[in-house]
Amino acid sequence: MPDRSAPPAGAADQYKPVSVLAGAPPWLEMRGITKVYPDGTRALENVDLVVAKGEIHGLLGENGAGKSTLMKILSGILPLTSGRILLGGREVSLRSTHDALAHGIGMVHQHFSLVPTFNALDNIILGRGALLASPARAAARARIRRLMEETGLHVPLDIPVEQLPVGTQQRIEILKTLDRNVDLLILDEPTAALTPQETDQLFTVLRGLAARGTTIILITHKLREVLALTSAVTVLRHGRVVGSRLTEGATAQDLARMMVGTERMPDVKARREHQKSEPVLRVAGLTVKGDGGQDVVKNVSFEINAGEIFAIAGVTGNGQSELIEALAGLRPIARGRVYLLGQPINGKSPRELYRMGIAHVPEDRHRLGMVAQFSVLENSILGVHHEPRFRRGVPGTIHWGKVRRYARDIVRRFQVVTPSLSTPMRSLSGGNQQKLVVGRELSKSPSLVIAGQPTRGLDVAATAAIRDLLVDIRNEGKAVLLVSADLDEVLALADRIAVMYEGEIMAILQKDQFDRERIGLLMGGVRDGSAAG
Amino acid sequence: MLISSLILGALHAMVPLTITATGEILSERAGVVNIGLEGILLISAFAAVVGAEAGGPLAGLMVGLLTGALLGLIHGIIAVYFRGDQTVSGVGLNILALGVVAIGIVDRWGAAGFHRVERAFRVPPLSTPLGPMSPMVIVTILLAALTWYLLQHTNLGLKIQACGENPAAADAAGVRVERVRLFGAVYAGALTGIAGAYLSIDWLATITENLPAGRGFIALATVVFSRLNPWLAVLGGLIFGFFDSLGLVASTSQALTRVIPYQFIQMMPYVVTLLVVAGVIGRFRAPAASGQPYRRE
Ligand SMILES: Nc1ncnc2c1ncn2[C@@H]1O[C@H](COP(=O)(O)OP(=O)(O)OP(=O)(O)O)[C@@H](O)[C@H]1O
Ligand SMILES: [Mg+2]
Repeated sequence: MPDRSAPPAGAADQYKPVSVLAGAPPWLEMRGITKVYPDGTRALENVDLVVAKGEIHGLLGENGAGKSTLMKILSGILPLTSGRILLGGREVSLRSTHDALAHGIGMVHQHFSLVPTFNALDNIILGRGALLASPARAAARARIRRLMEETGLHVPLDIPVEQLPVGTQQRIEILKTLDRNVDLLILDEPTAALTPQETDQLFTVLRGLAARGTTIILITHKLREVLALTSAVTVLRHGRVVGSRLTEGATAQDLARMMVGTERMPDVKARREHQKSEPVLRVAGLTVKGDGGQDVVKNVSFEINAGEIFAIAGVTGNGQSELIEALAGLRPIARGRVYLLGQPINGKSPRELYRMGIAHVPEDRHRLGMVAQFSVLENSILGVHHEPRFRRGVPGTIHWGKVRRYARDIVRRFQVVTPSLSTPMRSLSGGNQQKLVVGRELSKSPSLVIAGQPTRGLDVAATAAIRDLLVDIRNEGKAVLLVSADLDEVLALADRIAVMYEGEIMAILQKDQFDRERIGLLMGGVRDGSAAG
Repeated sequence: MLISSLILGALHAMVPLTITATGEILSERAGVVNIGLEGILLISAFAAVVGAEAGGPLAGLMVGLLTGALLGLIHGIIAVYFRGDQTVSGVGLNILALGVVAIGIVDRWGAAGFHRVERAFRVPPLSTPLGPMSPMVIVTILLAALTWYLLQHTNLGLKIQACGENPAAADAAGVRVERVRLFGAVYAGALTGIAGAYLSIDWLATITENLPAGRGFIALATVVFSRLNPWLAVLGGLIFGFFDSLGLVASTSQALTRVIPYQFIQMMPYVVTLLVVAGVIGRFRAPAASGQPYRRE
């Protein structure tokens, strides 16, 4: 079992922070960038961003600050309303991704841009090579194998990506862009679905690239990552630059203050102690098959009690997604039994399960949690739209006045930033989309909440709000099943932690057994000093 | 005798269906749906006669192809750049064709609704053991092979499929979605143009106000049947073509028309089309973004 947490020595160690703020000459200059979306949203107002060659620059800001918008302009996806972009002192016109790639600019997108029916290999080679030549799959396969070794990001190359879990899609998205050997690499929350180990190794790779002259812009909400990797940061708030500063000498507190304008790093709400109580969910010998037909959840058993948060930790792709899909009725149960409050739930549809009291915040919110073309209003009643309380008398009708009141309540309680209730969902920033989906599910007042990565991609304030909510739900005596790739989150919230590895539960830990290192080892398949499987 | 004329009849009836369907397959894979194929068939059939009478059958085929490509381009520009409704644009082509060709025939040849194409201007047939066969049968197979190869074995094919499934992903990968989709629309138009020329200066040797007689729509049915696979479009074209020619053969057989009314026999290809499409439809997952305009923001 190789030690995955220790970064290999090498090129990375040669990375010396460079920054315009420390006297290096500017290479990329975005000057006076203003962006007004067709619907009138002013996403960016006179933004300047200056980065030196070989610099790793952090781009920070709350949800909706305009980070993705700025980087989409730089990668040619979005046209700018006004402003100039200079590379090495010369003005460039980036009117398409094609232009940007021709200038050596590539981007890892926050919402993965993969063709769902293609496998990883075809997604990676898409758009490259002579038009009439056959795709160079063999050469690409060899190249990507090497890249996977180097980066530690392993993905299956021959399975359609729509059948792969989010974490794997994230890895593919990163590999796709790295494989282009760009000069300017933009990463929009690349680690949101990666494990700590994968993140470490990715950072080692990024340092190596920067040492060889690649310029990197990193968007992340994880302040630790910013401090570990960047030379300098620029902070956006409400579409304007708050300021830029060198990372050296900065603390997480400093950065958080620039972002939210307050010094408080929110703590998780106090939890109330409960007597040991009734099991809400009982899972006995559950086996679930993956899309390839193989067992990906293997004979798993556990109970979740009322008034507790039961967390599943593990490297993404070890069966957690399939487990929660099976519990939410989205995937058939191959073997085993599942009981909710004593009632068997095998073979029930998501709607029946919801009626029995299960709410589900899906991991892949973009695909399963929302309809991007629909308005915020419509999205806030998805799944409950048929209920009598939204009817205008007869079944099949919808009383929009009532819906509006309900939606307004969700938007207010969960601090969803949206111009109006009739704004299409796709116009909201990533974080605000998530807040709405989480808010909608939690508003169903269920007895069991299944939350898949509920705070992924959220900013500090929104993360704190959602964590508080989960604790509230627990304190109300409800059961919470939390699946999270963020170990800090799991440690902060859970009453008990189960660690999953290759479809099995390695161990279930009580509160007094929580130990970062032990959990890290279990996540890597090491049980009591010996490798499993 | 009857068998060989049935086989040849099926092959000849297959040609316009399969060529048209093959072009449309590529276009739909890229994300542009054109229901104006019937109109393109008609206009290019007319244009091909004009071309052939001026410069021989080869020129006629070229004029048909170019006319179709031009109409495909117009549809493509409306669908891709103006993000117009693709159904409306397609229906527009069908209506335009009816008017243009009706007037065109009168204007050009002075006869209303009908003009016969002389042998000298027709595509000369090959002689085969079964009898004279149009070389366009072979061209059809070659076009299906070419389309299949483009889609499955080239970088362009990957781009085309990406644009039909998820244009945003294609865009992010540096694919110029608009150009690829426009290419799809022009390709479909060009192939439909060839098929139109085949109708007038080869198979039917005539031009009328309604020469395709619904074959553009049966070609759309063939596209559905094919599940966007060009080889299955050949098979589909053969099945529909067989019933088409069976209808032609049967309606000239005195023995049959005495038992079954002539009109019923003529209905056969359409009824078969309906049945086949009803059986196939719903079990196929079309490209997710086909028929939808792509907007970046
Ligand atoms: N397609 C669009 N149409 C209209 N407005 C949009 C569109 N996309 C984003 N916006 C708006 O622009 C602003 C900036 O959004 P952006 O996605 O750049 O934020 P962000 O900083 O990346 O946030 P997050 O951390 O949540 O990803 C937000 O107010 C958002 O609602
Ligand atoms: Mg963003």
